[in-house]
Amino acid sequence: MLQVKNLNYASVETVYFQRLSVIVTELVLVLSLRRFVNVQTNPQTKKGANIIALSLLLSPAFLIIDHIHFQYNGMMFGILIFSLTDALTDNLLRSGILFAILLCFKHIYLYIAPAYFAYLLRRYCLGKNLLDVRLFNCIKLGVSIVSIFSVAFGYFVAIGQIPQLLSRLFPFSRGLCHAYWAPNAWALYAFADRILIHVAPRLNLNIDSASLGSATRGLVGDTSFAVLPNIPPRVTFVLTLAVQLVCLVKVFLQPTPTRFIGAVTLCGFASFMFGWHVHEKAVLLPLVPFSLLALQDRRYLGAFRPLAIAGHISLFPLVFKAAEFPIKSAYTILWIMVFFMTFDTVVPVAKSQRIFLLDRFEIVYMTVGVPLILYTELFHFAIFGSRLEFLPLMFTSAYCALGILGSFLGFFVLYLTG
Amino acid sequence: MAPPPPASHKARKRKRHVRSYSMQLPSKPFPLASLLHPLRTSSMRRLAIPTVLITAFIFRWAVTYGPHSGENTPPMYGDFEAQRHWMELTIHLPISEWYWYDLQWWGLDYPPLTAYHSWLCGKIGSLVNPSWFSLLTSRGHESYNHKVFMRATVAVSDYLIYIPSVVIFTKWHSRASGTDKYDRIIALAILLSSPGLIIIDYGHFQYNSVMLGLCILAFANFLADRLLWGSLLFVMGLGFKQMGLYYAPAVFAYLAGLCVSFGGSGSNTRGDGGNGNGIDIGGLLKVDIQTLTLLGITVISTFGIMVAPFAIFHGPDKTALEQLGQMVHRVFPFARGLWEDKVANFWCATNIVFKYRERLSTPTLQKVSLFLTILAILPPCLLLFLRPKKRLLPWGVAGCAWGFFLFSFQVHEKSVLLPMVAMTLVVAGGLDRDLLSWVGWANNVAMFSMWPLLKREGLGLQYTVLTGLWRYRVAYCGAYDYGGIVERFPDIWVVGNAVLCFGAFGCMYIWVLYRMAEEAGLLDEYSVGGGGEDEKERLKKVE
Repeated sequence: MLQVKNLNYASVETVYFQRLSVIVTELVLVLSLRRFVNVQTNPQTKKGANIIALSLLLSPAFLIIDHIHFQYNGMMFGILIFSLTDALTDNLLRSGILFAILLCFKHIYLYIAPAYFAYLLRRYCLGKNLLDVRLFNCIKLGVSIVSIFSVAFGYFVAIGQIPQLLSRLFPFSRGLCHAYWAPNAWALYAFADRILIHVAPRLNLNIDSASLGSATRGLVGDTSFAVLPNIPPRVTFVLTLAVQLVCLVKVFLQPTPTRFIGAVTLCGFASFMFGWHVHEKAVLLPLVPFSLLALQDRRYLGAFRPLAIAGHISLFPLVFKAAEFPIKSAYTILWIMVFFMTFDTVVPVAKSQRIFLLDRFEIVYMTVGVPLILYTELFHFAIFGSRLEFLPLMFTSAYCALGILGSFLGFFVLYLTG
Repeated sequence: MAPPPPASHKARKRKRHVRSYSMQLPSKPFPLASLLHPLRTSSMRRLAIPTVLITAFIFRWAVTYGPHSGENTPPMYGDFEAQRHWMELTIHLPISEWYWYDLQWWGLDYPPLTAYHSWLCGKIGSLVNPSWFSLLTSRGHESYNHKVFMRATVAVSDYLIYIPSVVIFTKWHSRASGTDKYDRIIALAILLSSPGLIIIDYGHFQYNSVMLGLCILAFANFLADRLLWGSLLFVMGLGFKQMGLYYAPAVFAYLAGLCVSFGGSGSNTRGDGGNGNGIDIGGLLKVDIQTLTLLGITVISTFGIMVAPFAIFHGPDKTALEQLGQMVHRVFPFARGLWEDKVANFWCATNIVFKYRERLSTPTLQKVSLFLTILAILPPCLLLFLRPKKRLLPWGVAGCAWGFFLFSFQVHEKSVLLPMVAMTLVVAGGLDRDLLSWVGWANNVAMFSMWPLLKREGLGLQYTVLTGLWRYRVAYCGAYDYGGIVERFPDIWVVGNAVLCFGAFGCMYIWVLYRMAEEAGLLDEYSVGGGGEDEKERLKKVE
């Protein structure tokens, strides 16, 4: 079972063992959510926290990614929630250490590291005013983080494999979009490009015929656009950092725990929306921290709902076998039904007026979703057979991108004005 | 037709077991009730039924990932292949060939409704992929998409027939016994999470839910006083699978009891009119000829319509009578043995002491088993006949099915589904602790009695999860554990399983009779002294 050359080995026992390991390690998530609930002092927020904790634990995202597709996100996000809970209770050193451990598990969390950096710097390393450096705190934090990283990477440094390790971790040779476009800004960009291919002849635009099949080719590779200009990696970096910088400045000026979680969410959002070669699974990065804030008041919930719908639907193409369709859709519908109604009953009213017309948007959005899923999962196959396989994927990703974009903008506004 | 006034029921309810859990929450009566507790408030109530139905679906579908019977086991495969083969033969052959075609390879041996159902599924499946059901070449066909399609036909049949029936049944039964809406949801959840039917239909692969659904819908109609619709549906149930006959004597007794009234108690034999008088057979006998005739016509014409195509399109080389004879011969194979595999019934369990098959000839055995079966089903049927009350119907059906399962000829271990489902139905009439623990135990033991079969088919994981969840959610109190039995001696273990389960099933049969007698009011005379105290104590305990 564990022999390295035994690729694609899957006996029943192996499957049982690996699946069981996912279930067991998810206990970390259970414990972290329990702690998240327990640290709430106000009975009203405690009730909300309870519901949030349940909604995260039972989230279809974890079912689809961890238990069907196979990953260990339950455990990772468990650690993240432990860390965020520590930040909530001002246990900042432990929060930082936990985050460093998390980074050594999976480097995707580098995307939200800027928020940690800004918050810990302001809150832990600096005093009341910016010139008051708490040296001892800095040393404590620095030493612990460096020692964690040296434990994790030390051996590889010793045997001189760091370049190889880094090239495995950060594969820049891949394209802008993943084969199935993760529902972010670039998916909308690519979708617009696909539409422009058909419109372009009438507008007398040039079509780069070499790249006609590229974005929908179905393999991990370079993406190039036919009508719209290509996006170099630099652009994605600049955009991501620009958005992140805005929220970092805000959290630096007002270092409260809630704002910190907001900053983590936005960093996740920014990297998901504008990042290079984002995978659809990365939607958990904004989804999980945002869940913790969703019951702040009605405005937050309004911004959260499109993300919850789109985020989960965008994961559907991840498990594509016929037998998995009933489970993923039934479970997601059940989750949305139960938790949206429960959220509605406990969420407090907003203190100030809402700015966005997100509720209307949301209703239209949800209504469109049902026929779309039916089409992509059932009717497409009935109409086209196995031809035009990219079409349902393209619709799903454009649809979800729209929802996530709406949610992102809504939350961004709330974060900046709140 | 209108539900009886609730006030009178409340008075009666206090006299008997406390049937409601809603008053006690949140003091945690059993996990399933606590789980559904948030759905009790008026704002969440409209979510209750969708939640239960979707959750039931998720568990059901999760079981389909397991292997089906006979997966990858040539040359004969198993029940899955039988069902697939029926779809293949019904869509390709004229109706006159259905009961004659190549009987050695899973020849059709279910009643006509199954054949029509197979035809429909086969037609739909052929639209998707004709090679799944092509004549002869598709024998033993196994592919991923085909399996999903077959599983989907089970799920669709289940959700079109069984599940609506259960929902309607819980509604009418709880209305007849005056339980509240929240308890009704709990009862529905219990009924839908009963593991036996799930694992046989979605794991092993059969369409029991269609037959059971039709029967349950028939019971619901009886409870709603729509006797003709009820009998029509019941006959359809029988026309789908002959196993429904386990329920038939009880249903017959109930209907006959409604048509016949005895002097003294007047015309009020329906409903809850009996005031606990003693049984007075000597009185004047009144027979409701009109209802009886209508029932007869309904039953006969339903049967007639179901088998008519076989008689009309009898083919050139056979007569209509031959066709029908062949159908009966296929549906009731009297030539088979006393039991199959190791069944937890009387014959298999006592076979250790007395080797029936060596000492007695098959015809003698048939007679003995017929006699014992009649003896066993007589008490529940007689009670139903004399006291045809709505509340008694599910009990009588359960008692009758247990009688058949324990003593009749040629019982399969899967047949335990019939008494088990019938016994689980009674929860719709109220959730007292006594009842819950018995029903919980019955499901546990029934699952356990099917363990050898399920294990052989590789459904061990599904068995463990479903039974575990059932135990946790419902049968938390009262069930006893079989954990200590070692799997070292395979045959001894299987026989031991059968004997143990037979003992348990026997207890259940007796308990059903006891509760039935209690519901019928036969024990009222005795309960003035000791029983009354007992009742009060139970009341105290619950409160």
